Amino acid sequence: MWEVMFWPIVACVLLPWLLVYLGLHVVQRGIIFIDIAMAQMASLGICLAVLFHLDLQSWTTFGIALGFTLVGGAIFSVTGKRSSQIPQEAVIGISYVVAAAAAVLLLSRAAEGDEEIKNMLVGNILLVTPHEVWKCFALFVVVGVFHFILRRSFLLVSFDRDGAYQKGLRVRWWDFLFYAVFGLVVTSFVRIAGVLLVFSYLIVPAVCGINLARRISRRLLIGWVIAWVGGIAGLFLSFWWDLPSGAAIVCTFGAILILISFIGLARHRVRAGAATDSQ
Amino acid sequence: MKKIPLILSTILACALSAQAKLNVVATLPDFGSLAREIGGDKINLVVLAKATEDPHFVDARPSFVVSLRNADLLIDGGAELELGWLPPLLQNARDPKIEIGKPGRVQASQGIRLMNVPANVTRAAGDVHALGNPHFTVDPIIAKAIAQHIAQSFSAVDAANAGFYEANYKKFEAAINAKLQEWGAAMSPFKGQQVVAYHDSWPYFAHRFGVNIDIFLEPKPGIPPSPSHLTEVIAQMKAQKVKAIIVEPFHDRRIAEKVASATGAKVVEFSQFPGGLPGTDSYVKLVDTVVSRLAAALK
Repeated sequence: MWEVMFWPIVACVLLPWLLVYLGLHVVQRGIIFIDIAMAQMASLGICLAVLFHLDLQSWTTFGIALGFTLVGGAIFSVTGKRSSQIPQEAVIGISYVVAAAAAVLLLSRAAEGDEEIKNMLVGNILLVTPHEVWKCFALFVVVGVFHFILRRSFLLVSFDRDGAYQKGLRVRWWDFLFYAVFGLVVTSFVRIAGVLLVFSYLIVPAVCGINLARRISRRLLIGWVIAWVGGIAGLFLSFWWDLPSGAAIVCTFGAILILISFIGLARHRVRAGAATDSQ
Repeated sequence: MKKIPLILSTILACALSAQAKLNVVATLPDFGSLAREIGGDKINLVVLAKATEDPHFVDARPSFVVSLRNADLLIDGGAELELGWLPPLLQNARDPKIEIGKPGRVQASQGIRLMNVPANVTRAAGDVHALGNPHFTVDPIIAKAIAQHIAQSFSAVDAANAGFYEANYKKFEAAINAKLQEWGAAMSPFKGQQVVAYHDSWPYFAHRFGVNIDIFLEPKPGIPPSPSHLTEVIAQMKAQKVKAIIVEPFHDRRIAEKVASATGAKVVEFSQFPGGLPGTDSYVKLVDTVVSRLAAALK
């Protein structure tokens, strides 16, 4: 089994840490579906490249896809106003459906069979190659260092927007920077693991962390443990029962979240009980 | 306690006899069913795609990699039908025995003249396969050639059972030869009739049995039907009084139903793969079924 599952396991150990961290930001900002919208923007860029008969593996194609995610980032940072009648999630949802529909229109003209595009956009964690894992890991390390150096401003903008405005930060620019880097991370992980897995790695560990702890460092630690346990357990289940690997990991995360929610609930009850006892 | 050596030796014997069998992987159910005809109980056969699955898109599972890794012999189409999913699997399995050019690799298209080879491949023509149309096993005469190719490869890898494989091939050849007349007779009243298909999977079948299958619900291979294209198809069908629309299990049947209700044609469920329709567990039964279904619809 090691021969088959070794690289998927390596990928599930080396890659999720950054997604869990970004997930904390995303959940805090309440923009849960931004990853799917960003991935869809990138795929719209690739569809455009297909329309112009560009090589799907070329740097030009990558540049176009990146350009589209930057446009997405610009849209989201402009619409994420301090106080607005329109929730950010509405803009994200609209961007997603319009990008998805536009991709359908482009493809109907481009007349490319969608096999190749699907392959390009949606990876399969079971079939990752060492090269892909290392490339993605290198990018994540760069982004991680970037986020670490600028952590004060990024955290302030995500977790305390009013404070950020008061301190005179240019929130919109920080937002744009956040979205641009986020788009890069999401699209590269989607290519090796697929859309379902990106979403799960971003949201589930973050939600579990928030459920069980208050401090960001604690939440991050809990999230990392859950990401590792869920990913590796999911891969093992997929091997034993011969299931599609990505979907097996996602369902494992679902089960873990249910378990954690019960633990959180029980702890809450105990605390509430203790509070009434002491009165 | 006395039983333990007995159990152990039984396990060992099972393991050995399992070892002795040829481990064969077929990418698609049509190659699988031919391998079964030739290999009988002398092979362990694993077929990757399900008969009801679109052969262009197959979801990989861990066992696929394991099977390929342990395979003595792999049968694939060799004409890019499995292009979307087989190469990454092979890359992960890294089994030298089934590399292209080795005796353990049967590429079914080898030695077969493929139809509709594009003069120049551009993406503008849709999801075309550069080597020609890869849906060739539905022609019984081509199926015989593939079966012979499989028998020769089995014999090359497992010389001890060469006589068995050769005899099974002869049996299969005789069965097809006996049936060809019957199938030809069933289809002969409909020579030259136009039939519509969802996807361009049937040029070999059409060529063999003398019907025309060159109007498709898809505007280009792999591109979903658009309203203007369907309008055109409906007009053509009315003009030529087309009576049948062929769909496969993984196609959107509702689109075919819509066109059928506009034109008075019948929707006929077809399959390229043994097992894709009820009661078609062998290749001969599959051709029996599609021929009689089409003949009934064209009457």
